[in-house]
Amino acid sequence: MVAVLAVTGAMVRPLEQPAWDFVRSTQPALKLDSLKGALGQGVTVGLLGGFRAIVADFFWIRTNSYWEDTDLPNTQTFVKLVTAIDPRPLYFWQNGSRMIAYDMPNWRIVKEGGYDVVSKARQYEIDKEQSAVAIKYLNEAFGYFPDSTLLYVEIGNIYLNRLKDNASAAEAYRKAAIQPGAPYYAARIYAEILTRKLGRKTEAYAWLTQLYPTLPKIEDPEKGITPFMVQSAMAPVVLDRIRELEKELNISEDKAFKP
Amino acid sequence: MSTPINSTASASVSGRAPGAGRTVPFSLGRLGIVAGNTFLEAVRQKLFNFLLLLAVAMVASAQLFQEFNFGSSELKFISDFGFGAMVFFGSTLTIAATAQLFFSEIENRTALTILAKPIWRTEFIFGKFLGVFAVVGVFCALTTVLLLGLLYHRENALMAANPDAFEHGRLIHYGDLVLMGVMQWLKFGVLAAITLLIASFSNTNLYTVVMGFFVLVICHLQYLARDAYGAVASLPLRLLVQLLGYVFPNFQVFNLTDQIGIGAGINPSVFLHVAGYALIYIAVIGGLAVYSFRNREI
Repeated sequence: MVAVLAVTGAMVRPLEQPAWDFVRSTQPALKLDSLKGALGQGVTVGLLGGFRAIVADFFWIRTNSYWEDTDLPNTQTFVKLVTAIDPRPLYFWQNGSRMIAYDMPNWRIVKEGGYDVVSKARQYEIDKEQSAVAIKYLNEAFGYFPDSTLLYVEIGNIYLNRLKDNASAAEAYRKAAIQPGAPYYAARIYAEILTRKLGRKTEAYAWLTQLYPTLPKIEDPEKGITPFMVQSAMAPVVLDRIRELEKELNISEDKAFKP
Repeated sequence: MSTPINSTASASVSGRAPGAGRTVPFSLGRLGIVAGNTFLEAVRQKLFNFLLLLAVAMVASAQLFQEFNFGSSELKFISDFGFGAMVFFGSTLTIAATAQLFFSEIENRTALTILAKPIWRTEFIFGKFLGVFAVVGVFCALTTVLLLGLLYHRENALMAANPDAFEHGRLIHYGDLVLMGVMQWLKFGVLAAITLLIASFSNTNLYTVVMGFFVLVICHLQYLARDAYGAVASLPLRLLVQLLGYVFPNFQVFNLTDQIGIGAGINPSVFLHVAGYALIYIAVIGGLAVYSFRNREI
């Protein structure tokens, strides 16, 4: 009987393989190994039964319950558990990384005596540790969202706001800006960091002059340009910034950018 | 070789007419009668009605549960939830109904009466299978239609509330969702055949149901073993895992919920591959169930 089944399995492999490749190409595999020990049998059956999204949602509620109690070990465990169960929603990755990078350092500092007691160096060390965990977590998410602008923005925010690492933040925003369908603000923030934080004005000028022609300026329903796109692209603001940089860089009128 | 309970049953094992020494030709009509009776018996059972009611209630209440949804769009959530209910209750129904319908014939001794007639055991087993397959088909059809109705209703409401989000037309591919329902039905067909195979040599209903659920889990997770141990250095272990990968059907190939319905459509050739995969397994496992049942003492 086993031999017949094995031979059948081998014979139907040419039918199975294309379908299996198709499933694997777009659907993240269920990593049961990372869930080991955390799940009861009921949850496992629920996952196999197709309630993956629902199980992840209920675990997310539980994560928030731990988060409200400022329970660091459990919050961190459950943040990772939720994305192990269902890595498809970007929402979990974004909000999980924010808990790790922004809330957890605060909990740790409070636990060590508060901001008045803990030295600045120690605070920075804690920030650095938590940010490293959050960035590693977000880098994992690229396995499921390879072109996600929002993940790069999230990483950029951590470098900028927690670690004050402007060069790394700029690089993250640059990557965010060049992804397909990137929000317009990513490109503007990149230019702002180059100019105001890093003093790389020539680079910022080159970036903005390349960016400006690509921005939608007038609403055009036939080309799919909506009023919201025009508003969020903020082309006049970008042009003003270009002019400011021309002054700061002493670029003559004949060499100035001509839109 | 088992000992038949009487000479009549013994004759029927090989499909011979009693006492005549002549073989009775295989009859689709008799197979249909067994299937029809199995279907009617299943529909009359409380289990079917109970599970159907639960599944329908869950699909219908998908909208209420969306308050718990954080990750995906509302329509995707309803679709996932609905198919989750179908898969969960459908698997339970398939295993429990197959085992119960098979063992009710054995325990009530009606199997003896039936097999004393000139009827092939192949007709009996495949009749049972087709009866269960039809029941599960009704289950899948009802839940799919309900889900489609719910999604259509919600999509219309969302289109009216937010026309910009639907400027390229409807988001849901209803035809693909029907294909998804068909794929789940085929998967339940393979599961029913496996359960019949277990029942054909098992002595109790409970053992069959428990083993059926174990096999369901194995078939869903065998790909993990193939991934994890496929490249290990130990040759015997690698061969063992490969053998397991061949012996148990891979139920994950039926899991195309992410790909179809919302977003990208399904490639028709993929659907045909999966359908062929399921039908071959049903035929082979059904054949093994017949072989095992022929050697069974009733």
